[in-house]
Amino acid sequence: MTNHWIDMINADVVMIMGGNPAEDHPISMNWLTRTKERGAYILHVDPRFNRTSSIADVFAKLRSGTDIAFVGGMIKYAIDNNRIQQEYVREYTNASWIVGDGYGFADGLFAGFDPAKKSYDRARWVWALDGQGQPRRDPTLKHPRCVFQLLKAHFSRYDVDTVCRITGTPKEAYLRVCDLYTSTFAPDRAGTWLYAMGTAQHSHGTQNVRSYAILQLLLGNIGVAGGGVNAMRGESNVQGSTDQGLNNDILPGYLRTPVEADTDLARYLKRVTPVAANPQSVNWLQNTPKYVVSLLKAWWGEHARPDNDFAFAYLPKLGQGFQGQGYAFLALTHAMLAGDVKGLFCVGQNPAVGGANARLIRAGLDKLDWMVVVDLFEHETAGFWKRPGVDPAKIPTEVFVLPATSAVEKEGSIVNSGRWAQWRSRAVKPIAACRPDLEIIDGLAKAVKRGYEKDGVFPEPIRHLAWDYGHEADPHKVARELNGRYLADVTQPDGTPVAAGKQVPGFAQLRDDGSTMSGNWIYCGGYTEEGNLAARRDATDAVNGIGLYPKWAWVWPMNRRILYNRASVNRKGEPFNPRKWVIRWNAEKKAWEGDVPDGAMPPGEMNPFIMLASGVGQLYAPEMVDGPFPEHYEPVESPVRNPLSKVQSSPCAQVWQSTEFDRYGTAEVFPIVATTFRVSEHWQTGAMSRNMPWLVGLVPSAFVEIGTALATREGIKSGDRVIVSSARGSIEVYALVTERFQPFFVDGRLIDEIGLPWHWGYAGIVPGDIANDLTASVGDANTQIPETKVFLCNLRKKSPT
Amino acid sequence: MTTPSAKPKAMIQDNTRCIGCRACMIACKSWNNRPADHTEFFAGAGYQNPIDLDANNYTLITFNEIVTGAQPDWVFGRQLCMHCEHPACASACPTTALTKTALGPVVFNESRCIGCRACMQACPFLIPKYDYENLNPKIHKCTFCADRIEAGLKPACATVCPTGAISFGDRDDMVAEAKRRIATAPGTYIPEIYGLDEVGGTSVLHLSSVPFEQIGYITGLPKTPMPDLTHRWLRVTPHFFALLYAVFGALTWIMHRRSSRSESKGDTM
Repeated sequence: MTNHWIDMINADVVMIMGGNPAEDHPISMNWLTRTKERGAYILHVDPRFNRTSSIADVFAKLRSGTDIAFVGGMIKYAIDNNRIQQEYVREYTNASWIVGDGYGFADGLFAGFDPAKKSYDRARWVWALDGQGQPRRDPTLKHPRCVFQLLKAHFSRYDVDTVCRITGTPKEAYLRVCDLYTSTFAPDRAGTWLYAMGTAQHSHGTQNVRSYAILQLLLGNIGVAGGGVNAMRGESNVQGSTDQGLNNDILPGYLRTPVEADTDLARYLKRVTPVAANPQSVNWLQNTPKYVVSLLKAWWGEHARPDNDFAFAYLPKLGQGFQGQGYAFLALTHAMLAGDVKGLFCVGQNPAVGGANARLIRAGLDKLDWMVVVDLFEHETAGFWKRPGVDPAKIPTEVFVLPATSAVEKEGSIVNSGRWAQWRSRAVKPIAACRPDLEIIDGLAKAVKRGYEKDGVFPEPIRHLAWDYGHEADPHKVARELNGRYLADVTQPDGTPVAAGKQVPGFAQLRDDGSTMSGNWIYCGGYTEEGNLAARRDATDAVNGIGLYPKWAWVWPMNRRILYNRASVNRKGEPFNPRKWVIRWNAEKKAWEGDVPDGAMPPGEMNPFIMLASGVGQLYAPEMVDGPFPEHYEPVESPVRNPLSKVQSSPCAQVWQSTEFDRYGTAEVFPIVATTFRVSEHWQTGAMSRNMPWLVGLVPSAFVEIGTALATREGIKSGDRVIVSSARGSIEVYALVTERFQPFFVDGRLIDEIGLPWHWGYAGIVPGDIANDLTASVGDANTQIPETKVFLCNLRKKSPT
Repeated sequence: MTTPSAKPKAMIQDNTRCIGCRACMIACKSWNNRPADHTEFFAGAGYQNPIDLDANNYTLITFNEIVTGAQPDWVFGRQLCMHCEHPACASACPTTALTKTALGPVVFNESRCIGCRACMQACPFLIPKYDYENLNPKIHKCTFCADRIEAGLKPACATVCPTGAISFGDRDDMVAEAKRRIATAPGTYIPEIYGLDEVGGTSVLHLSSVPFEQIGYITGLPKTPMPDLTHRWLRVTPHFFALLYAVFGALTWIMHRRSSRSESKGDTM
């Protein structure tokens, strides 16, 4: 999130789209209840009326996969009705920047598309430069090639009738949403945008989020109290996991993983260190070399030296991946199926149930030589070799199950969606042989290091690993390393000397000469000589009373609670909304008050989006691989021709077609749109919750939600057994017939949509068929996140035998 | 933990804030050590389980789909003991197994229960449930977490509710708060506090966005406390019996006198 959970109370309008917090983040409802009490409106946009919709002021339904049409229409509505925060847009976004002649858009494609490679030549989308090599600008926003005019032209096709024709939203509800939400353009009103997997898990998921960011920038809602683009993270500590770089393409602190072409440190740093686009850009990531070197020093200690490139050669480098498709989840599962993966560590994950195209995944598990599962229960992945329909004798995989402890049985921190790192004590001792993940990984690393002591291929990266978290791995030691410390006596810029061994007070003090180490630069400042700031529990609010609670736990970066908060003030440091100010410049004291300012310099020329090379919010984003503006395309499996352009679905989406499991269906055979969802009572694949008898008693069996219209046509009543099928498989579940899920009137006809909760598998107290057996291996163009939220299916009542 | 004020307590059940998550049901089961339910599917519109309160479920969230025109709505209600000011169950119970305490809860003493089910007949809200599966059956109902309240804690349900749909405090304060909510957001609530006046007033005050009968509540209850309906007559009982004794005693005396008089006259007929 750019903001945080408690900040919701500052919103005048809350948009919840592609998310269901009442069921999937119920604790957050405390804040949404309070903001409603203060008079805020809650808008819920979703294919089905669910428990979040029940407390919303306006529910507007939309057909799965049409978010860009919906929000594109809101962007047009804002522009047409002049609901733009003018000063904000002019000063703090690239609205005034002029795009070069290479950019264009026609017939559903941006300029520079290569159909053979299914990719764009993004060099076509660059800026028009002036004599100094800076992007040219028109502060009046009238130049026909300025971003604002190009944005306006791009979304001019998203009029209300066209949008509702695509999304199936009733026009009245749509207009009410547009009116209410765009009212937050006023400087004294704020709109917060909450979203989750319903937004992200699409072939154009990243562009979905882009559309939210564009609208929020136009309305002046980024960096302000009650605003922001706020992802409701899907797992308890997924925020922590991405912060620590668990994804294949990032290192801790969202640094980029090196690739094969990065043959030395200098080459890598040159590639990944952004250059400021203009003198008004702070371009904070110009400090990347300090963070990379400090990371290398944390990992290889004394073996990372200036004369050996700080052991840069020890870092694994990304190649092209399986079949040139990279290393993300879809590529990994296909590599497993092809027999390319010998062993798998499956830690706190249950891909046999939770992954897209789950039948493909289970078939891939059959090919492993060995697998180590670390989890609380023996779930479907741990027991894949004894799943229904399979003969264990024919599966050669050696499976190890290491029982892990739950969060309450170990000490450590969890980072919530709002970037709040909250330290917890151990509440109860682990039972039986269960051990914390940290101990398991520590034991493994020590054993591997011992193995590499005598020999091994390229042993140095392991032998030289600086690994010391105690005889019994101590989370405090890990946290202290993430913060980092001085490795030599140094003198600070202000002249104060600091002794080696002291914790570094913040990432501004990290250095690229090997005198500092830090396991994760964004956590530098969280465990200092002051102590473990994540363990603080002081519930005193800050002077501006907007729910920052600056002494409760610790927030990255540097305890800054609202990111980009310099965009909440004008160039003189005066808040746009004095009633709910985030920061303000005290001219007498010559200091900022309120939240930690996002950039400590006094008010003036420097721009607020300090983490972007441009320094300003990106209405136009040429870094995206599939277009600088979002454009509506249909999902890869769709029941309608794209009414907006000749391009049916995202031209850059990763669509796997190489295996027998990679089949796709058409609307002739599979006329019904399907989506997946979760319920309050179960958690993800049910690995924990379907082993809890009380929870199973509330929601026992796998089911599908079907609207009354469709159910009546098919002769289905609630409680009937039905078969739901897609091109990839079929499952049998109970039917739940409901008024809350009605067909969409799209392009002149009614399209049915159904919803499947994906919590069930063959393990647990009550087994059930796996909903992800029906989803496909389709990945978003930028991130390869699977398009599990929309696909085509068919259904019929199971005939009694 | 704090020492509670000695004033009687109440809860607000604000259904406009309820998201139907059932944390209250699970917390209640946990605190009261109730076993899990063995279910196969759902028992009501939506995800409701079980169909009604029972010996293992002292509180229940009802799922109600209400359609207005083309607009669907999902409204949740909660069933639980109302802890009446003048409980009919306590009045009907022959063994005083049910008693109203000063702090508000109508508590149940299991060791006194003879399983006669008079309380089930008496309760206007149909709350006490019988443990039909047990060879030594008792009734079961919400305890208002009387033990927690006495220790200065909130009931288990009020503690876990994530939205603040359940509030807990002194009854006076809860009544004032319920009225304040209706007054400040009239478009959100129907202007009714269920439990304020019903059967003489209760300790659980429900608020709703739709009429209560649409979300499974028993409505149309009188304002008179239930015991009053019978008390009017039962109150007379000792007088009635005294009168009966007096009348028959007098008749007996008269008859006795007559027969002894006729004896002394020497009637030998």
